[in-house]
Amino acid sequence: MNDRFLMSLGAIALAILVAVVLVAPTSAAAQAQKAAAATVTKAAAPAKPWTAPRTPDGQPDLQGYWTNNSYTPLERPKDLTKEFYTPEELREAEKKAAEREEEQTVPGTTADVHYDFTQFGLDRSQTRLTDNLRTSVIVDPPNGKLPPVTSEGQKRAADRAAERKKQGAQYDQVQNIPLGSRCVYQNAGPPMLPPGYNPAYQILQSKDTVTILIEMLHEVRVIPLDGRPHAPQGYRSWLGDSRGHWEGDTLVVETTNFNDKSAFRGASENMKVTERFTRLSDDAIRYEFTVNDPSTWEIPWKGEMPFVKINGPVFEHACHEGNYGVANTLKAVRLEEKKAAEEAARKGTK
Amino acid sequence: MRITLAVTITAILLLAAVPVWAHHAFSAEFDVNKPLTLKGTLSKWEMINPHSWFHIDVKGPDGTVTEWMIEGGSPNTLIRLGVTKNTVKVGTELTIEGYQAKEGTNKAVGRNFVLADGTRLFLSLGGSVPGTPGAVPESEKK
Repeated sequence: MNDRFLMSLGAIALAILVAVVLVAPTSAAAQAQKAAAATVTKAAAPAKPWTAPRTPDGQPDLQGYWTNNSYTPLERPKDLTKEFYTPEELREAEKKAAEREEEQTVPGTTADVHYDFTQFGLDRSQTRLTDNLRTSVIVDPPNGKLPPVTSEGQKRAADRAAERKKQGAQYDQVQNIPLGSRCVYQNAGPPMLPPGYNPAYQILQSKDTVTILIEMLHEVRVIPLDGRPHAPQGYRSWLGDSRGHWEGDTLVVETTNFNDKSAFRGASENMKVTERFTRLSDDAIRYEFTVNDPSTWEIPWKGEMPFVKINGPVFEHACHEGNYGVANTLKAVRLEEKKAAEEAARKGTK
Repeated sequence: MRITLAVTITAILLLAAVPVWAHHAFSAEFDVNKPLTLKGTLSKWEMINPHSWFHIDVKGPDGTVTEWMIEGGSPNTLIRLGVTKNTVKVGTELTIEGYQAKEGTNKAVGRNFVLADGTRLFLSLGGSVPGTPGAVPESEKK
């Protein structure tokens, strides 16, 4: 299959989407078709009828190694109003984004104090991209932006900021250092968003469980399918408490019982995330999610993006083990404080 | 052991890539006011997360050898792309331009790694090696 053919398929898929929206915007069939066309990847328009693979238990088979590596932002950029790029526009956008990542910083600036991502194979363009034609991960609200934050959500954000301020500046105390820097939590979700680098996942299934290994930061989601109720309210965790079931060929996972520290985009511990995994082809899974937290956002919001195949394995990340950065940073702050105290004392004795 | 022993501090005019996203604020760990250039040989590459560390032996004008630890990128994606510890062998001569750690010991972030022949170290093989873990599976190549 050559690229031109793939691009025509993408164009056809878009045309179907537009036609469906124009002709029958409210019918269930139209909605289903719209959903089917919504995640348009190179692989999402198969050349011949495709049968979803099954596990030996007869369940739709989502197993394998996957990536969500992408330049697609969560929210639609200010200068864009359309929902989809054409394949040509996507190529151009990805090319520009790759060039920005390779761009050189100015010596002596804060941005320059970093190793070079390109030298270490960490530019997103250096590994497989999902080639998502969407201009934002968020699909609802239709403007591709997060919905307005409730007054309660605003107050919580202010309270959290005040609490951090009590600890001093961002790098003064370990409690204030961002969770990702402390190797605690970084986009593992749910919802599972691209972590920036090392975007590798493995899905494993048994009759009663789906397990997702997430390379960043060495997370494992174990999702029971046996209909058991959620854990008691008192149980709270970073990744929450997930329960899954099948709706046709789609795996539906509902997650509650988050702690109040993961605070996804300012969410409360009462956030509920519903994810839907649908195998689109040998090469792609459509991943949809709904975030519902009435105490934070005025309405629920939805996102969608593909996962595409990569070769395995998922490697152990063992982030905390080698995280000398936190100790180095805190030592630096203590040293500066000591110097400042000595300087103050010296001035005092003059 | 101070930088004057083995290190020439220069106003570095070379350029490094834009950190579009980062594991932590490197400017909190390393000092933008302490740029340095180190020339030495690799004694150990700690391929660890969240960032790898290169240990290099730097010989001063009086022959004294000082060990420096240089922070580089996460190894996971590199390993998926077919890079191994032997891709940069112990004993490799490296010139590293970077910034010294604020905590004052012989640590730095390596904003540019240059090989003895003057070329920039470029670890990523870009998935171009068939069958390497991060490459597009052969079955999916169009």
